[in-house]
Amino acid sequence: MITVVSGVPRSGTSLMMQMLVAGGLEPLTDGRRAADAGNPRGYFEWEKAKALPIDPGCIREAEGKVVKVVSTLLPSLPNTFDYRVIFMERALAEVVASQSAMIQRLGTQAPALPPEVMERALETHLKQVKAALRLRPEMRICWIGHRDVVQNAQRVCETLQQFLGSPLDLPAMAAHVDPSLYRQRQASDIDSIKQAQAFRRLA
Amino acid sequence: MKGAAIRRTQNMGEALAKKVLLIGWDAADWKVATPLLEQGLMPALDDFINHGVMGNLATLQPILSPMLWNSIATGKRADKHGIHGFTEPDPNSGGVRPVTSTSRKVKAIWNILTQRGYKPHVLGWFAGHPAEPINGISVSDLYPLATKPHDKPWPLPPSAVHPENLRDTLAELRMHPAEVDPSGILPFVPQAAKVNQKEDKRLSIIAKLLAENCSIHNAATWILQTQPWDFMAVYYNAIDHFCHGFMPFHPPRMEGIPEDQYELYKGVVSGAYRFHDMMLHTLLQLAGPETTVILCSDHGFHPDHLRPRGIPDEPAGPAVQHRRFGIICMKGTGIKQDARIYGATLLDITPTILTVMGLPVGQDMDGRVMVQAFEEPPAIERIPSWEEVPGECGMHPADLQVDAESADAVLKQFAALGYIAPTDDQKKAVEIALRESKYNLARAYMDKGEPSQALPMFVELYKEQPYQTRFAQHLAQCYFSLRRIEDAKRILTESMNRPLETPEQEQGSARRALPLPEAQAGVAPATPEASMPRPWGDWMIGNIHFEEGKMDEALQCLLRAERSEPRFPDLHVRIGQTYLRLKRVDDAGRAFRKALEIDGDSPEAHLGLATASLRKKDNEQAVEEALAAVGLQHYLPMGHFCLGVGLARLGHFHRATLAFETALTILPGFMRARRWLIAINRRPGGDRTKAAHHRKLIAEMIQRRSVAFNT
Repeated sequence: MITVVSGVPRSGTSLMMQMLVAGGLEPLTDGRRAADAGNPRGYFEWEKAKALPIDPGCIREAEGKVVKVVSTLLPSLPNTFDYRVIFMERALAEVVASQSAMIQRLGTQAPALPPEVMERALETHLKQVKAALRLRPEMRICWIGHRDVVQNAQRVCETLQQFLGSPLDLPAMAAHVDPSLYRQRQASDIDSIKQAQAFRRLA
Repeated sequence: MKGAAIRRTQNMGEALAKKVLLIGWDAADWKVATPLLEQGLMPALDDFINHGVMGNLATLQPILSPMLWNSIATGKRADKHGIHGFTEPDPNSGGVRPVTSTSRKVKAIWNILTQRGYKPHVLGWFAGHPAEPINGISVSDLYPLATKPHDKPWPLPPSAVHPENLRDTLAELRMHPAEVDPSGILPFVPQAAKVNQKEDKRLSIIAKLLAENCSIHNAATWILQTQPWDFMAVYYNAIDHFCHGFMPFHPPRMEGIPEDQYELYKGVVSGAYRFHDMMLHTLLQLAGPETTVILCSDHGFHPDHLRPRGIPDEPAGPAVQHRRFGIICMKGTGIKQDARIYGATLLDITPTILTVMGLPVGQDMDGRVMVQAFEEPPAIERIPSWEEVPGECGMHPADLQVDAESADAVLKQFAALGYIAPTDDQKKAVEIALRESKYNLARAYMDKGEPSQALPMFVELYKEQPYQTRFAQHLAQCYFSLRRIEDAKRILTESMNRPLETPEQEQGSARRALPLPEAQAGVAPATPEASMPRPWGDWMIGNIHFEEGKMDEALQCLLRAERSEPRFPDLHVRIGQTYLRLKRVDDAGRAFRKALEIDGDSPEAHLGLATASLRKKDNEQAVEEALAAVGLQHYLPMGHFCLGVGLARLGHFHRATLAFETALTILPGFMRARRWLIAINRRPGGDRTKAAHHRKLIAEMIQRRSVAFNT
């Protein structure tokens, strides 16, 4: 059995990884992506996941562990394993704002699309992923709202324990949720976006 | 959902058949099959056509199989069904993937049958992955592909089979290429022992094709033997693949093919046809006599002197080997026996199956029922559209449908965030897939006669890559169709004055001779030199002069193009038309006959000869040529018109009326056809009411045109 944490980038997948690791699951991560302002507690990423479309068999390394796999790569997981997928959901306006802020920090090149267009594209993408997952009987899915995690961590931890079917350290998991961090980052993301927009207007 | 009670619901006529079997042979061509039939080497096909009808099946442009097989399955053109090429961006990998069933926007015949409670099965269809959740078995086109060596586990890809509980059973029926032993290869290459397999990998290609098509065939025969069924569509791709690999070695020997290679591989294409004949025999045995069987191909494949000498260096370049007529055979209750049918197109398959099964045809379908195949004209019921009919039809949910540009935006965003890492090759593949898809859709609009829909796409393509001659050609052609002659001239001038650039930029340019329509072009390998002749430019400018009424200039350009590229039948047709306008009827006849020497199946050349014969008052010859033209291409209003004129002059007024009415069905604004109908109906014994009706319609048309002109 492989436990997968998935979702679109900036939907709370790193937070969920931190919680599950605190709860007692062993992560599959290479630690290459260091903690930064976007994720002060670390990303818990596994670089090889990017190669899943070419080498789906590499997921065997995650047997018995928890691994983060971004939503676009989920359909590339081979059907020769059983998966428990914890899929993070977050308001897309927040996701897009957070992604834009991160792209700014990274200084990388992204499509020059207005936020509402990107929101619609992500919405379509999520619909496709959900429809594709319905065709994958070997994947059991648990949908978790990012807002629920922040506002009601205890209940979410209990849901996760029930879904995973094994005892977890619930207090330790809940302790990893810091609503103030979320609020700060949300404000900081929005500031960054505003700055960027102002800069673009000036330019 | 199951059971006869549900099947007999609204909109259902009398079924002519209990079951229908649709067999697809990609690229099958009578030009290859006929000599084999004459030698008794395809007994199953011979028996089939003796008990049914046979004919040419006209294809669509662009001649690309994924688009065509989805037109066959839906009765609709590509702009409606949504499959626009071989690949699409893969929202999972950041690269591309073979085009999928989730990109099809409309119901295929198996979806309609699912909706009506039938038990349909579909196997191996182009763009058939992921397998659709129909009320029968769906086996996707990824099912037969061997992705691992034979000694390694070879799991089916997810969603290759529906329903899921048959997955293991069907997986067991697959054949791995390594299981093809020498006895399987020798019928194709009797001297296989002489092949140095370290350097020449073609025997392994044959093994792969045999294994993949045997896998599909195994699954089909297993279903026919063990499962209830009302309809099955099974698609075999091997003839197309064998032809792309081995047609240059097919007799007669082509110039430039080494003798030893020719001797080794000259029997491969014939072997492929005979292999299919054996599979056909089994399918027919298992289907039983009560089944209506349709065998068709999406296009033909040049096997003779029209084989191109080179392949354009562009995506889907090998399509230059395709011929615009595939095959159609049909047998069953109520179908004529040992008869030929004319004028069928691949859009007609689904409407015909619906009629055979007693179901209405969607008025939004682009094809028509092949009534000429039936002993008695069948009752044809119609509904506005099957797309509007509610209920479970076994299509994937709309959420799974891929919007290529939206998917591309998400991938780029995720890559910028560092969550996925498409390689440069993958990024380039996505760019090419999106561009080719746009190009193919624009060409499909042109084929449909809607240049205004195609124009913005060609403009965009030309703006992005003006050095791609094919984009310039099609844009100029598009302007030309829209009567924007000055714009067409501008593009041609820009393109012809553009120096030939790097080999990469020159992709599909210098090597291209006359690509419109592409399948007919001989493609001469050439070095990119600025001074080289560009016959396509002369051909296009000649067409412009023709449209402007400057016949002497037109002739000059066209004859110059002929000197550079004498093997292009449509060029000779245009030369013939120019001679006709210059009242040089004998020269015109010679040009049309030259076109027919190159391609005997050119409807335009037959039409030209019909017109020339009418000018010479040789009405019998005119009727013969016009019949040949509309037999090859039904949607040819001028062909029906010439047929009508010839028949009327010979005194066959009833048949002439039918011909004129057919022309008007295709082109309601065809005033000359209406005038002939008025003349026929004003004769003694004619229908004066009809004459008055046509007169009224002409008056209305003239008034509408006048209003349009004044505004």
